[in-house]
Amino acid sequence: MSSGETYRVRMSGISKRYNAIQTLDDVSLTLKPGEVLGLVGDNGAGKSTLSKVLSGAVIPDAGTIEIDGMPVTFNSPADSRAARVEMVYQDLSLCDTIDVAGNLFLGREPRRHVAGISFLDKKRMHEQTRQMLDRLGIVIADTRLKVENLSGGQRQSIAIGRAASFEPSVLIMDEPTAALAVAEVEAVLDLIRTVSARGVSVILITHRLQDLFLVCDRIQVMYEGRNVAERLIGETNIEDVVNLIVGRKFNARSAASRYRDGAPI
Amino acid sequence: MSEATHSAQSRRVREATWREAMLANGSVVSIALFFLVVCIIFSVATNAFLTSPNLLNILRQSAPLLIVAAAMTFVITTGGIDLSVGSVLALVATLSATLLQFGLPWPAVILAMLALGALLGAVQGYFVAYEGIPAFIVTLAGLSVIRGVALLITGGYSIPVEPGSSFTIIGRAWFLGVPVPALIALAILAIAYLAFNETPFGRYVTGIGANAEAVRRAGVNTRLMTLFVYVISATAAALAGIIIAARLGSGSSNAGQGFELEVIAAVVLGGTSLFGGRGTIIGTVLGALTVAVIGNGLILAHLSPFLTPIVTGTIILIAIWLNFRLFRGAVRSR
Repeated sequence: MSSGETYRVRMSGISKRYNAIQTLDDVSLTLKPGEVLGLVGDNGAGKSTLSKVLSGAVIPDAGTIEIDGMPVTFNSPADSRAARVEMVYQDLSLCDTIDVAGNLFLGREPRRHVAGISFLDKKRMHEQTRQMLDRLGIVIADTRLKVENLSGGQRQSIAIGRAASFEPSVLIMDEPTAALAVAEVEAVLDLIRTVSARGVSVILITHRLQDLFLVCDRIQVMYEGRNVAERLIGETNIEDVVNLIVGRKFNARSAASRYRDGAPI
Repeated sequence: MSEATHSAQSRRVREATWREAMLANGSVVSIALFFLVVCIIFSVATNAFLTSPNLLNILRQSAPLLIVAAAMTFVITTGGIDLSVGSVLALVATLSATLLQFGLPWPAVILAMLALGALLGAVQGYFVAYEGIPAFIVTLAGLSVIRGVALLITGGYSIPVEPGSSFTIIGRAWFLGVPVPALIALAILAIAYLAFNETPFGRYVTGIGANAEAVRRAGVNTRLMTLFVYVISATAAALAGIIIAARLGSGSSNAGQGFELEVIAAVVLGGTSLFGGRGTIIGTVLGALTVAVIGNGLILAHLSPFLTPIVTGTIILIAIWLNFRLFRGAVRSR
């Protein structure tokens, strides 16, 4: 890997306008190798749009993207995948009636050729799936289980594992811990740590502020299409982040008591 | 994470594996039981049922149904449907008789007819996959237009095939003590089974039925795959039309009336979900054989053949009802 001074991702001056609404206004974003960046903001602050720009799903009106110091232009998700940027969508993109191994390898199944016809190499697929799951610490008893029989956290883990298996240099996750049970959130956060420890830079979009403090190195706050603040995780707290998100001095007392004492109001 | 949580989790997962394994085969098991029960009833009720000539005869007669039902399993698993197979069968039966009358050699006729089937499937598949029109509507239009063409060509009469023609081998000959149509069906079923379960294509067919967007994002050309399943079903229907024309020695534009419903019944009876994402070739084979055995057995039992649709329909409803009750309890509703 290059020295810590080169950025894995550097987006600068990104703007995007949808008719009357300036969704992104001169936004920049930097990401170092192996870093976990929390991207937060209210609904409509532009964090999803920004991540879609990086994953090639949205083409910006202005701005530049550099990956490992090289300027790139993404016109489709395939372009960004070629530059080793992977995105885990909120809807997970899993096929319920296909097994775990089949979902991990969807679209790039190991093949074996018999008489010129390509067949699925199921044995190799299940072996590689097992190795992959073990490497990432994902607990699933049987790779022949259909995804519909997994819990929400396991499904999320499979989706992340699938993205991670493309050996990305950047992994974007949109709300990976929304609607998960407590233990499952822990497992998914563990998985994010494992992935970033392997040198993958992670962008984590979430509304669960407590998660940010467990996995992120840095937080970037967006407000109405602009970035308003960047904080290293050691130099901030939940009250501060809440205030930055809502864009004014919020009732920080409630945020504090809500999260510090553990018991929700 | 403590050890206790981990072991509790894997215990839960293992339980699910067992349940899932039972349910994955549940629909196949239930149709296998129905098939067995129907066979036993007719074996006891009639002397002629459980004889090898009769069993081979059932295979001979059900060959077109088996072939098209195997192809239809692909279509239904993608979440689509093909209502035009009966009409394709009729058009191919009449056209092959007509072309033979014009003196075209029979291998050329067969190739031309299979190509025609593929073309009809491609046209319908184009409207379904690339234009996004619901398969029900596209193939309903196909059902009407294609049979209309068959009627127009023949004026409603059936066209004879010269009895001495080698063409009739396909429908009438026996090879190694087995009727040729049954052998053709067996070969097609083996190919269908392998394609469905062991190839990437079969995997994508299931995936498209479960979550087409996910398969598309995985870089698979889902539109082409969808188009292709209609090519398969129409080509299979063309093959069935050739077999029927060869067996009956004539091409009738009224052949295969209601055939599409019989095929869909066989597929659904076998446990393939009409909503897509779940399909089984073994189940389809059992479903098709059950439909065929009911028709054969009722005639052997000297009961009115008009009872066939009543009994078949009732069994479909009961079988699906059982599956539905079984599945509802077990599959996580999301």
